[in-house]
Amino acid sequence: MNGAETLQRPNAAIDLGARRRTRIVGAILILLAAFVVVVLGDAPGDATFRLSRPRDVWVLPDLIVPAQPFIYIAAALTAFLGARQFLRGGGRWTTLSLGLGLGLGVLAFLVWATAGNAFSLTGMLQATMVRAVPIALGGLAAVMCERVAVVNIAVEGMLLAGAFTGALMGSVVGGWGGLLSAVVIGGLFGFILAALVVTYRMDQIIAGVVINLFVLGLTSYVSSQVFAEMRHLNNAPVFRAIDIPLLSDIPVIGPMLFQQNIFVYGALIMVAVSTYYLFHTRNGLRARAVGEHPRAADTLGIDVYRTRYLHVTIGGMIAGFGGAWFTLGSVGRFDENMTGGRGFIGLAAMVFGRWHPVGALMAALVFGFTDSLQQKLALLQTPIPSEFLAMAPYVATIVVVAGLIGRARPPAADGKPYVKE
Amino acid sequence: MQFHRTFRRLSLPLALFLAAPASAFTACQITDTGGIDDNSFNQTAWRGVLDAEDQLGVSGRYLESEAETDYEANINSLLGGACDIIFTIGFLLGDATQSAAEANPDQMFSIVDFAYDPPLPNVLGQVYATDQAAFLAGYLAAGMTQTGILGTFGGINIPPVTVFMDGFVYGAEYYNDRHGTDVTVLGWSPETREGLFTNNFESLDDGRAFAQNLYDEGADIVLPVAGPVGLGSAALANELGVDELMIIGVDADLYETDPERGHVYLTSVVKRMDATVYQVIERAMAGDFSGGVITGTLENGGVDIAPLHDFEAAVPAELMAELDEIRAGITDGSIMIGGQ
Repeated sequence: MNGAETLQRPNAAIDLGARRRTRIVGAILILLAAFVVVVLGDAPGDATFRLSRPRDVWVLPDLIVPAQPFIYIAAALTAFLGARQFLRGGGRWTTLSLGLGLGLGVLAFLVWATAGNAFSLTGMLQATMVRAVPIALGGLAAVMCERVAVVNIAVEGMLLAGAFTGALMGSVVGGWGGLLSAVVIGGLFGFILAALVVTYRMDQIIAGVVINLFVLGLTSYVSSQVFAEMRHLNNAPVFRAIDIPLLSDIPVIGPMLFQQNIFVYGALIMVAVSTYYLFHTRNGLRARAVGEHPRAADTLGIDVYRTRYLHVTIGGMIAGFGGAWFTLGSVGRFDENMTGGRGFIGLAAMVFGRWHPVGALMAALVFGFTDSLQQKLALLQTPIPSEFLAMAPYVATIVVVAGLIGRARPPAADGKPYVKE
Repeated sequence: MQFHRTFRRLSLPLALFLAAPASAFTACQITDTGGIDDNSFNQTAWRGVLDAEDQLGVSGRYLESEAETDYEANINSLLGGACDIIFTIGFLLGDATQSAAEANPDQMFSIVDFAYDPPLPNVLGQVYATDQAAFLAGYLAAGMTQTGILGTFGGINIPPVTVFMDGFVYGAEYYNDRHGTDVTVLGWSPETREGLFTNNFESLDDGRAFAQNLYDEGADIVLPVAGPVGLGSAALANELGVDELMIIGVDADLYETDPERGHVYLTSVVKRMDATVYQVIERAMAGDFSGGVITGTLENGGVDIAPLHDFEAAVPAELMAELDEIRAGITDGSIMIGGQ
């Protein structure tokens, strides 16, 4: 037993583990390639993807893909990646290969479904972004809270409160006033959650569920009793898309990124700002310290309670903004339970995104993509039952996250109340 | 003991309160998850109860189902003599209503959109030949489209929803047969029984997203069959303008019930649940209630398309004349919907 041997052993274990993972990934990719050939191989005709829409400045021709050759090429590439992994792949390439392989599989599937048919690719990508926004904002709100170790199940209720307030105040004082009120109400519920769990050390899950049920009950009551009688209180203006000059004329990605309303731009900016704040500023480091080891942070003079109050309130404000999207950014009126569980999907996006704002956005985009994809597939009359298509966003999110992202670690003190000595 | 006394003190006024309305007849309604104010399905049925309150002097109560798990609990909470008749609104309450009706043979029930086979002696089903009215709407839409593409989507793939979509598609096909046109309907295939579904009756932003999807594929008239979710589609049409996108409402005349966006509705496929609910209450009060089915058709006015309102001038007189002809044809059986 000399020192060199003990140092080597853990390395060897890592190597073995990595090699086994490489092999598994290789086998999965080869199976995927076989699946693509056997199940999707028979696709006569061309798949047509419309890139331009009637009013675009630069008109692109349709993208026409001969279905069968494309599917065989995609399968061959996937099989090559798989074989390479299986025989000699290195750990570094494993995730990339899996990502590429899955991407090719999705493309092959898309081409198979579209063979002999056509749909608007640009429209689908634009819808991807729109569908991702409330989930990304819900996820971001949860990230802000959990980074300071407060589990925020109440995101759903905060979204609903934001949607309600946006509709009510938007109808009374106009869009910007409604948006501001929604943010304030979201922040208020954040503050209430912080008070319950930080000061009164209530169980964080219970506190979140209480807020969700309270908001659902209250808004449903007002919606059925007040809005039904006084319709003018539930008729808010909708923020329309703002085209960013020049950039919005770029084909395909222009409409996706630069022909959107303020909620989409706001979500992108907030993700960028909060990433910078959490990982590149002194206060962000302090916040994360509170989430990882509050005792140590306290010893160093960081006010744990104040930090938690602040960040949970900010998280609530983000959720309030996200909630306003449902009314002021989409349909201009409130209806009972109109958030439909998007807050919970946002929480999942946070976990899938490894408690990182960009990760949460990416997970939300995966969800948004599969969601708009399943709508297109339903129109194309594929032989897949619509109930299965409706499951696709959830299944895809799980596959991508389990396969590509791997084990995620929450902040060490997540969910635990802190008692100052 | 203390508890007991408190309870009794509380329960006496409570019992008085329940008895207080003192009208001879109480009609209770249990909504589906869309809620009583959904501008559509549940609200139309509730109007039947309200009409009966005004004209027959009954008293009405309703309970909203927040989730599908509430159905049984809501029915059970209305049992025990407080209600003379219980209306359960919607196909999805079919199983819950059946088990409650079998356990309580003396309680009168009436369910919308469900017919039991074999019929239950104490449940009167209210069903609608909605495809007849949707057929007219499909024909009208096919005559009005500029792009030659129509769209539809539903809430859940269940018969009371897809019957709208069937009629709509067959109506457009009938227009094609008569005029040699090539109008297509996206979102539903009567042959494969598959199509575009939101899988909920709540998320209004789904209504917007699904209508946007259909619009991106070229549709300029969309029929959302998903209760309040369709209001989201109307928001999109309002933003794009009716030259780009028109909506066809369902259940109620949405021009009336959604007046802020009334101008986007070409017409509505109206299911007169208020009329049938009222009729059932009348029958129950007169004592000639029996289990079975009543069917709303074009002929008896149980289903129809709504007036065109703002589009009155835009729809050619010829098309209106053809619609009248088809209405007569459906009524006398010379036009079979879907060729059955």
